[in-house]
Amino acid sequence: MDFDRQTKDRAFAFLRGVGIAMIIFVFLGPILWIFLTAFKPLSAVYTMSLWFEPTLDNFRQIFDKPFYLGQKLWNSIVISAFTVAIGVPTALAAAYSFSRFPMKYKKSLFFGVLATQFIPPMVVVLPFFLMFRTLGLLDTWTGMIWINLSIVLPFAIWMLKGFIDTIPIEMEEAAMIDGASRLRVVWDIVLPVCVPGLFVAGIFCFIFSWNDFLYALILTKKEAVTLPVTLNAFYTEEGDRWELMAATGTFILLPMFAISFFIQRHFVQGATQGSDR
Amino acid sequence: MAKVTLRNVSKRWGAFIGVDNQSLVVEDKEFFVLLGPSGCGKTTLMRMISGLEMPTDGDIEFDGQRVNDELAKDRDVAMVFQNYGLYPHMTVHGNIAYPLKVRGTPKGEIESRVQEAARQVEMLDFLDRKPRALSGGQRQRVALARAIVRKPRVFLMDEPLSNLDAKLRVSMRAELKHLSNALKITTIYVTHDQVEAMTLADRVAVMKKGVIQQLGPPTEIFDDPANLFVAGFIGSPAMNLINGSVRNGRFITMGGTSTVAVNTPDRERVVLGVRAEDILVHEEGGGDLNVSVYAYENTGENVMLTLQFGQQRVTARTDRGLRKKQDEKVGLSFNPDRLYLFDADTEERIRT
Repeated sequence: MDFDRQTKDRAFAFLRGVGIAMIIFVFLGPILWIFLTAFKPLSAVYTMSLWFEPTLDNFRQIFDKPFYLGQKLWNSIVISAFTVAIGVPTALAAAYSFSRFPMKYKKSLFFGVLATQFIPPMVVVLPFFLMFRTLGLLDTWTGMIWINLSIVLPFAIWMLKGFIDTIPIEMEEAAMIDGASRLRVVWDIVLPVCVPGLFVAGIFCFIFSWNDFLYALILTKKEAVTLPVTLNAFYTEEGDRWELMAATGTFILLPMFAISFFIQRHFVQGATQGSDR
Repeated sequence: MAKVTLRNVSKRWGAFIGVDNQSLVVEDKEFFVLLGPSGCGKTTLMRMISGLEMPTDGDIEFDGQRVNDELAKDRDVAMVFQNYGLYPHMTVHGNIAYPLKVRGTPKGEIESRVQEAARQVEMLDFLDRKPRALSGGQRQRVALARAIVRKPRVFLMDEPLSNLDAKLRVSMRAELKHLSNALKITTIYVTHDQVEAMTLADRVAVMKKGVIQQLGPPTEIFDDPANLFVAGFIGSPAMNLINGSVRNGRFITMGGTSTVAVNTPDRERVVLGVRAEDILVHEEGGGDLNVSVYAYENTGENVMLTLQFGQQRVTARTDRGLRKKQDEKVGLSFNPDRLYLFDADTEERIRT
């Protein structure tokens, strides 16, 4: 009886291990493929071989004529950085107002903010194109930062409002009675307590603008082209340059890995904050 | 230090009335308690004094100066909240120092005053801790220290002890009393706990539905309640209230039992109030009434007897040495000097 049970358990453990391995492979396989391919010489690209002589040739090529990845990388960094730098404080201000101040039609307004999130990008990208053409914002950093903000702000506002709602109002009232102005209350009390929420909002803003393909594809041409759009350039006359795409892909992926590592460290600390009343 | 005056103050939210046209003077250095059940408007009244809430009507004055239009930060009041309202990201030191820091107090002075405030609440050893590493009682001390670190004109305390466990509440109450005697700052204290009101207050205002029912020293509120609500709210156990009428100078219960002589002209629909400690229990045959023991409860310091006569039950507080059995017959009499009659319809006290 006992013996039977043990074998059963062992068989189950084995099956479970296989299942987990398969799931991991499905999720991580493509990423592994990109990293490997990025370092493969042209001759090895179409083999699934794990043994090849790694080369940095692909990286040299993408930074050179005609791809000039350096410029695109810089575009992506600038656009994403400004989206975060403008988006997070703006979202905090809006979220705080929605959370704390009485206003007319607050529910409808807040729903309106959120509803913009439900519009399919494909539907609005053409009006945006026309508008940007009129305003001379096509293919500019300003235009790209603007469009990214219009996408990330609603979600960031909604998320931060939820966060601020959980901060006991007594903390702010105590600070006001202690002599702080409203602005000072936000700076001294709300902001520090919101840090975990601000990080999540910031990371969300960054990931969206960093990964955005559709808007950048249609609203940029040459000067403000971002990394994901660059991938398009590798469908060349000599065929699809998988190894160059993979090399570019690693650049797109790297910040994501950095971020997930960072999130892990930060959120262990963040989870316990604000829990004390 | 300030005298706080409220003139015809009201607070309404739409049709809901929080505080209804109340006037009140809190004297300088007085410990003033607002007492009432939840939703009676006591906290709203205090929040209007703090500046966190604006009155719909009426004036609030500190030392004769109207402060209605001053923001909370400019009124120079200090407040202790029920759930402490500590700043979780600051240390105890940071929390206590914050009101001084905001006001631009010089560093050296901040240091000495934080030390002094922390010493007064016995938290000197915890200055480097964050609030989350403190117990409930310690957090409340920090909140207190933050309030006393500057000398505010008025102290406001919103149920400061009600989040503490029963034992701690009693010891903190004594500390509060000691502290307030030492500081001599006008204090307005909101509570629903009548024991806190009795023990701490110089004067108490008992509130119900936005209206002050009675205002006076605790003993006066206890010994001379103005109406049924105050009589029932103050005292533990609650005052015994017996419905009946007065005929030929005696109080007759609804069940028709003639109980005790009262010095009042005949009238119907009367409530007789008598506190548990003013009911005297005798051996069978003694006293004015023959009753039976419905329940015997020994609390250790007292014996509480619930006695039944007719449909009526009353609770008596008796000597802890008393031993009675359920259904045992005993005699009962009321202390004639401590009887209260109320009109059952208006709920007002009937005075003779």
